[in-house]
Amino acid sequence: MIKRFLLPFLYYKFLLSQLILREIKARYKQSIMGYAWIIFSPLIQLLIYSFVFSIIFRFPTGDIPYSIFLLAGLLPWIYFQTTLSTTALVLVDNSNLIKKVYFPREVLPYSVILAKAVDLFFAALVLVAFMIFYQIPFHLTVLLLIPLFLIQVALMTGISFFISTANLFYRDIQYVVNLFLFMWMFLTPVVYPLSLVPDKYIWLYKLNPMVGIIEGYRSALFNFSFDSGTILWSALISFLIFIVGFIFFKKSEKIFADIV
Amino acid sequence: MDNKNVSIQFKNCTKKFYLQEDKTFKEFLPNLILGKSWAKELIALNDISFEIKQGETVGIVGKNGAGKSTLLRLIAGVTSPTKGEVRVEGKVAPLIELGAGFHHELSGYENIFLNAAILGMHKKEIELVLDKIIEFSELEDFIHIPVKRYSSGMYMRLAFAIAVHVDAPILLIDEVLAVGDAAFQKKCLDRLKEFKKQGDKIIIFISHSEQSVKNFCERVILLDHGKMLDEGSPAEVFEKYHHILTQKT
Repeated sequence: MIKRFLLPFLYYKFLLSQLILREIKARYKQSIMGYAWIIFSPLIQLLIYSFVFSIIFRFPTGDIPYSIFLLAGLLPWIYFQTTLSTTALVLVDNSNLIKKVYFPREVLPYSVILAKAVDLFFAALVLVAFMIFYQIPFHLTVLLLIPLFLIQVALMTGISFFISTANLFYRDIQYVVNLFLFMWMFLTPVVYPLSLVPDKYIWLYKLNPMVGIIEGYRSALFNFSFDSGTILWSALISFLIFIVGFIFFKKSEKIFADIV
Repeated sequence: MDNKNVSIQFKNCTKKFYLQEDKTFKEFLPNLILGKSWAKELIALNDISFEIKQGETVGIVGKNGAGKSTLLRLIAGVTSPTKGEVRVEGKVAPLIELGAGFHHELSGYENIFLNAAILGMHKKEIELVLDKIIEFSELEDFIHIPVKRYSSGMYMRLAFAIAVHVDAPILLIDEVLAVGDAAFQKKCLDRLKEFKKQGDKIIIFISHSEQSVKNFCERVILLDHGKMLDEGSPAEVFEKYHHILTQKT
């Protein structure tokens, strides 16, 4: 199983890198702003949310300015959301390849997840610029962003395995996914702080694996105390979804060409 | 067991498809409750057995819907048989519906790498034949513009140029020789004959053109409604093929 898992990264690594390049290069061709949209689009969202939630609603975010508090959660959330809404379509969009040529099919969702990670990296430069501008010190805890990021990638990959396959059977899935993501965002402390969630419901709220991940990012960036129990839960759920998703995907893969 | 040789083996292979008739949930749900079958069964290939050895060039003929493309898909490994066994030893390069992996916004040059990677080549292998691919496609002056600006002939030329430079021991060719003008068609055929001369490749050839099958293949398999009706020399098999064509039209 481990050997099967590694195959796309060893034997098929050139194919994977070509598909990532296709994803990145093709998206902004024939557009004036091109790759600048990667930075521009979260900035616009930042402006909108900042206006609504720091001027109108005035969420309490402590010593951290709202814009930075928001970016720390919004950027990984945008990564999560754009990746999942794209991977829902990835098998359907590449159906002509699936019908003609053999390669491990998981290469397709992987290429999306990795291409969007490149976007996240560039968008994160905005956050760094903001932190420097507001003179927020960087702590050694930023290194913990890496394991948190890996948990998020495991979760996204696992979910991608299910939704990309399901969408091959019924195209309704892509719409369900987008609605679900919209709801999911408001069940995750992206635009508001966790402290606003009523104590009564907090245990239920924390079952959402994205809570531990997003809160973890903030703890790592701003040197808040870590809620290790919640993060551990997120990690556990994420890797479980990933493993079950992988097995499910590899089992279904054989009939992809027959049903697209 | 002889694993060193390149070979294709079909043992009592059957492939069924389930044609889904009820596309929407509204129709699907009542049928499920009433216990009606939710799909219509279609037998694309019925109990097929044959063996192809290294160095052979085999033509596959039959009417539309006879199961030719399903056979190629089984060899390419994109689908698996419902019953029976398919064994393929060696890397397969499917020259079916060329350009399936092209991205319209990318340049011809970028698409060479992308498409060759999809066909299973590695970076170094591609770099070795890159100049040959561009030369073969005769697109030297247009290689850096997006393929969406190509004419359909240019598009196919590039796709074919990539496909024939894939270093795979098994080649699947599905009606692709109708590419470009007469001169380019001849060039493609010459290239395939070159492969044939090498003597170590398996070439599977699907065509409705009797002339090119007779020219190119020493063995022909005749399919009809998913069954293998005949197998043998082109002259023999085509006689039978004409017979069934006149019998029921």
